[in-house]
Order: sequence, then structure tokens, then C-alpha cells
Amino acid sequence: MAERTPTPPSPVTRANRPMSEALLNEKWDRCLSSMLIRSGLGLSFGVVFSFLLFKRRAWPVWLGTGFGAGRAWEECDNSFKHAAAPTKDGLRVLRP
Amino acid sequence: MLRVSLYEAAGPSLLELAAPTDSNGSSLRSEARYTKKPDDTTLPGTPPKIDLDDVAAEPITTPVNPSTDPIATIPPENVPREPPSPEEVQATPPESVEATPSESVQATSSDSVLATPPPSTSTPPTPLPPTGTGTSSVAPPPNGAPPPPPPAPKRKPRRFRRFLTAMLLLSALGYGGSVYMALVNDNFHDFFTEYVPFGEDAVAYFEEREFRKRFPETTTPRRHEVRDDNKVKIPSNSGLSSRVTGESDPNKADLLSKGRHVSALEDNKIAEEQAKQNPEQAKPKDTREAGAERQKDPGPSEPEPKPAAEPPKPAAEPPKPAAEPPKPAPEPPKPVPAAQIDNLKVEGADEPVVQEVVKILNDIITVVNADNAGSKYASTIDKAKGELGKVLSDITTMKATINKEAEDKIRASHTEFDAAAKELMRRLEAEMKEQEARWKDEYEAERQKLSETYDNKLRSELDTTKKVYEQRLKNELLEQAIALQRQCTESVRDRVETERSGRLSKLDELSSSVAELERLTAEWNSVVDANLKTQHLVVAVEAVRNALEAADRPKPFVDELVALKETAGDDPVVNAAIASINPSAYQRGISTTSQLIDRFRLVAHEVRKAALLPENAGVASHAASLLLSKFMFRKDKGAIGLPVGNDVESVLARAELLLEEGNIDQAAREVNQLQGWAKVLCRDWLAEARRVLEVKQALDVITTEARLQSLLVD
Repeated sequence: MAERTPTPPSPVTRANRPMSEALLNEKWDRCLSSMLIRSGLGLSFGVVFSFLLFKRRAWPVWLGTGFGAGRAWEECDNSFKHAAAPTKDGLRVLRP
Repeated sequence: MLRVSLYEAAGPSLLELAAPTDSNGSSLRSEARYTKKPDDTTLPGTPPKIDLDDVAAEPITTPVNPSTDPIATIPPENVPREPPSPEEVQATPPESVEATPSESVQATSSDSVLATPPPSTSTPPTPLPPTGTGTSSVAPPPNGAPPPPPPAPKRKPRRFRRFLTAMLLLSALGYGGSVYMALVNDNFHDFFTEYVPFGEDAVAYFEEREFRKRFPETTTPRRHEVRDDNKVKIPSNSGLSSRVTGESDPNKADLLSKGRHVSALEDNKIAEEQAKQNPEQAKPKDTREAGAERQKDPGPSEPEPKPAAEPPKPAAEPPKPAAEPPKPAPEPPKPVPAAQIDNLKVEGADEPVVQEVVKILNDIITVVNADNAGSKYASTIDKAKGELGKVLSDITTMKATINKEAEDKIRASHTEFDAAAKELMRRLEAEMKEQEARWKDEYEAERQKLSETYDNKLRSELDTTKKVYEQRLKNELLEQAIALQRQCTESVRDRVETERSGRLSKLDELSSSVAELERLTAEWNSVVDANLKTQHLVVAVEAVRNALEAADRPKPFVDELVALKETAGDDPVVNAAIASINPSAYQRGISTTSQLIDRFRLVAHEVRKAALLPENAGVASHAASLLLSKFMFRKDKGAIGLPVGNDVESVLARAELLLEEGNIDQAAREVNQLQGWAKVLCRDWLAEARRVLEVKQALDVITTEARLQSLLVD
């Protein structure tokens, strides 16, 4: 193993690029985490608004959570849709 | 020019003298004309117009009035008086002097030969002196008496007549004979016609007759006439003589009268001629006086018989009859006769005119004396004598002046002529010199040109011949050299051949065997080397394969691969095989077959999760696929045979089965058939499997190559 240490590219590539079979799993991880965070953020913003403006009413909390979860869903869906085929945004074709 | 002037100076007398016979005159004139022409031509410097004028005008002018010529020597009163024909002029002297029968004979004979008889007929009446020849009568002054002749004729005539007839006969015979001879002999004909008088006529007459006898129809007379016309009598003295002056005049007169020996005056005349220097002026006078006298004379002289007329000269008083009645004889008592003038003592006695005058005077004196009237006419006679002297002096002076003038003229003409001749000579010489020089120049130029051309030609020919000769020499030398070389090479080759056939052939065999040995050893060396090389290669390939198979995890095998490449050297197949290996493979090593299978199981698990995804799946479909894939039935590996179908589950089952059988290649092909997310998920595993496959293939190629090498070597 000591001899193997000097070969840096393999760990680097592994760090940079995930193994192909792990692609979907990774996407799933990001989606879940982002949903969690954005729904949490919406929840919190709803709570604050309900306490501050709406006299502790419940609906601002739900609305805020809904906004956060909706946004995370949208992002996740987008990542799943364009992941299979490589994105063609910004590509240019050289004419022969 | 000169001659013409001379003629014209002598003109009146000469021309007039020549005039009587037209032939003579014309001949003279024509001759003068002809003789002039050479002068004209020879004197280019003198203007020619005079000649032309003369030629044109002369025939007309000269005969008609010769006095038109500018020569002043002829007194003008002489000209009209000239006409007396030469017969008259010439006839008088002989008449006055003495005409012997022979003279008359010859005078007449000049006219015609056949006229000879007349003298014989005429002679008898005349009381001829006994002299047979003309010379006998030369100056017998005293024999003026006629009486003696009459008695003589009685005997003499008969003898004379016989002699004469004999002579006549002889001459006639001779003449006839000569004519016949002339007809026969050509030479004699020429001689006869040329020298004998009338010979030509006679001969021509006979020839004519003969001709007419032969050809009676032809008109012959013309020939004779023509001959007559052409016949021109040219006195031998006519034409030009070296003597310039007209002293030929008396000659001419003599000639025309046939015979300078005729008259008794002949001696005198000869003497006079010799002494005479200027007859030109004397002649006209002479003639004039003679004419004057003649006019007077004929009356008295003709009636009287000839012998009576001759005597007067010697001053025979009695014979002269009273021819001059006007002369009275008043002084008979005067016995003293008037003295006769001495012929020879008179001044200018050599002058014929003077002689004439003196003669006349003497005649008068004799007449007077005969009449004894000397005293009566003494004064007149004296006066006449004085006048005579004066006339003589005048004559001499005139003669002198004319002589001088003539001499001057002659001299002038001489000088002119000389100058002209010199001029001519000079011009001719100049012309000749010029021509000579020109010819010389031309000749020189021509000769030079010719010589140059010939030189050029000669040089060129020499050059060409020289070149040809040199070329031939060179050719011969070359031929000899070639022949020598050929001989030399042939001899050398012969020697070498003989040598080679001996020892060198063995050497060749030895060297060939050595070369074969070397070749064999080299071949064997190469075989050994190739063997070694293949062995090394095989060993290296085995080392690589061992390294790969022995590794339980991916290990780089760069060292083994380098050793393999070195052993392979420059083998193209080995090099290509090594080049086909992905560098990451030998740098990082390749995963083993167990690792591949293990990783495939992981990948298959993930792929099954995404097996139900549609295209462009979102979060919901992914979540559905994730959930539903848990409920799918797996294809059973344990069943016999491979599942058929393109769905993800069957593909994965075939690939796993193939992998478990160790057929990585086929498993990779199956996995490669997946679509969409499944293929994306399998990408890394595929790359790994391909790398392994590449290495395996390269090693297989190298091993086969090594085996092939080892097989080829043998």
C-alpha cells in the first residue's frame, strides 16, 4: 500500500467523478437534503410570519413549508431529467 | 591651205594653162581639193571653215576668176587679159622661134598616134632643113635663108621618104605587134597600156571588137566612153612638186606643147629657169606681152612662110619683108644703123620677158636699120631703149618685192605649218602619253587584281591541301596507334589467359568455397540470433502474463511491458500491439476477473433500480422506478440457457452468466446493448472491462508473434 500512495490520480478521479453506478444514489441524496432544507426554511419563515403577523395562525406555517418543498422538488426533478443525456446547453458545433 | 594659196598665187597662169584640156584642169582642181583634205585633217588647230569654203567654192571660183583670191601679187589688169589658151601661149614661141618638122610631128603625135601621116604630107611643101631630128635646128641664126632648101629636096626627100616610110611601116608593124602581144600577154598588156602612148586605146579597141564579136547583143559603146571619160591626162609635172613657186609654168607650157627639147630657145630657157627665182610675176607679164605681140604679129607672120618667121631673132635684116608699112625710111643717108640691144648684156637678161622685149626692139631696130631710117627713128629708139631700161628696172623691183612677199608668205606659212605640226605632234604626244599612262595604270591595276586573286586562290588551295594532308597524317597516326593498342591488348590478354588457365583457376575455386563457408556461417549465426530473440520475446510475454494473472488487485505492469518492448526490438507487430494498449492500463494496472464480476454485481443492482425509468424521467418516475424495481422478478441464473430479450433484466442476467463463465468479452458486448440510464450507470464498468480486454488481446498477439518468429526461424 505504501507503494500505491504515490499514485495520486486514482483518488483524485474518484473524488472528482463518482462511479457511474452511484450517480442516481447521489442525486437522490441531494434531492432529499435540499427538500429537507427548503421545507424547513419555509416552515420557519411561516412560523415567524404566523407569530409576527398572523397572530399565531397555522396556515402561514404550512404555506411556508409548501413553498420550500415545492422548490426542492422542482430542482430535483430538473436534475433527474437532464442527467441521463448530457446537457447540450452552451455547446457549439463547428462547421466543417 | 598652203597649197591652195600657192596655186592661187600662181593661179592665173597655172590654172589658165591647165585650163585648155578640161580633164587637165579638173584633174588639177580635184587634186588640189584632194591634196587639201589631208591638210585639213592634219591640222586640228586651224579652223576648218576655210577648207569647207574652199572645197565648196573652189570649183566655181577658181576657174572663173582666179583673181578673187586675196593675193595681191597679180596686177589687176593682168587678169582679164589672161584668157589666151595655152595653145596660143605655147604655140607662139615655137612658131616664133622655129618649128622643126619633128616638133610638129611630135606635137601632133601627142594628139593621136595615127596622126603621124599628116606631118609627112605637110612636110613636103615646107622647105625643111636637112636635119632629121628636132635638135638639128637648134639655133642656127644664120640659116634663116630659105634658098638653100629648095635644091636639096630632090635627092634627099626620096631617101628620106623611103626611110620615113620604112620607119613608119616598122613602127606600125611594131605597134601592131605590140598591140597583139598586149592582147595575148597580160604583163605586156600592162606595160604597153601604161607606157606606150595610145596603147591603151588601141588595145581597148581590139578588145572591144573581140568582145562585140562574142556578144553582139550587148551595148558595148558605153565602155569605151567611160574609158574616155575617165581618161585624164595628167602631165607628169602637174600636181605638187617640192618647189613651191610656179616655175613649173614654163614646164607646163613645154609639156603641153610636147617637148622641152623642141625649140631653139630651149637652152636659154633652161638657163633662165635655173636663174629664175620669181617667175610668178614674170609669167603674167610674159604672157601678156606675148599676147600683145601676138595680136600684132599674126598678121605679118602668118602669111610669110615659116623659115621667114624664124630668122628675126638673130637679127637678120634682109629676110624681113616690109611688114610694117608705117615705118618709113626717112633717113637712108644715115648709114649708121641703130645699135642693136645686146641680148645678153641687158639688165635682167635672164628674164624671158626682157628677152622678148629686147627681141621686139631688136626687130624694130633691124627693120629700121633695114630701111636705113635709123637716123630718123634714132630718138624714138633711144627713148625706147631708155624706156626699156626703165621697164626692166620696174620689172626687177616688182620682181624683188613680189619675191620678198612670196618669200615672206612662204616663211609665214612655213612657220604656221611648223607650229601646227608641232602643236599636232605635241597633242599627239600628250595624248599618247596620257593614254599610255592610263593603259599602264589599268594594266597595273588589272595585274595587281589578277595577282591578288590568284594569290588568294593559291593560298586557299594550299591551306586546304595542307589541312587535308595533315588530317590524313593524323588519321594514319591514329590508325597506327589503334592497331598498336589492339595488338598490345591482344597479346596481354593472351598472356593473361594462359596464366589464368594455369594457377588462377584454382584460386578462384578456393575463394568461391571460402565465400560459401562464410555465407553458411552467417546464415547460422542469424538463425541462432533469431532463436535467441524469440526466446527472449516469449519469456517477456510470459512475464507480463504472469504479472497480470498473479496480481490479486490491479497493479501497474509497466516494467514488464518495457522489457517486452526491448526484447521485441523493432518488431512492428509487437510494437503495434503495445501501442494499442491504453496507457492508463499499464500505468494503473487492470482489475482482475473476480474484481470485474464483483463490481458487475454492484452495477447490476443499481441498474435494476433504474430499469423502469421512462425517457426524460423526472423525480416522480425515478421514485416510482426505485420503488417498483423492488417488486420485479429476477431472471433465474440457475436455469439452463441464456434468457432471451432486450429488457434490462435479461441482459443483466446474460451478462452475469457470461461473466461467471469467464467470457468477459461477450459480457461486455451484452452490457453495451443497454439504453438510457442503465447504460449511463454501466459506463465505468464497461471502460474497465474494455481495458482488460485490450491488454489480454495485445498479450495474445505478442505471444502468437513470438511463436511465429520461433517457427519462422526454423
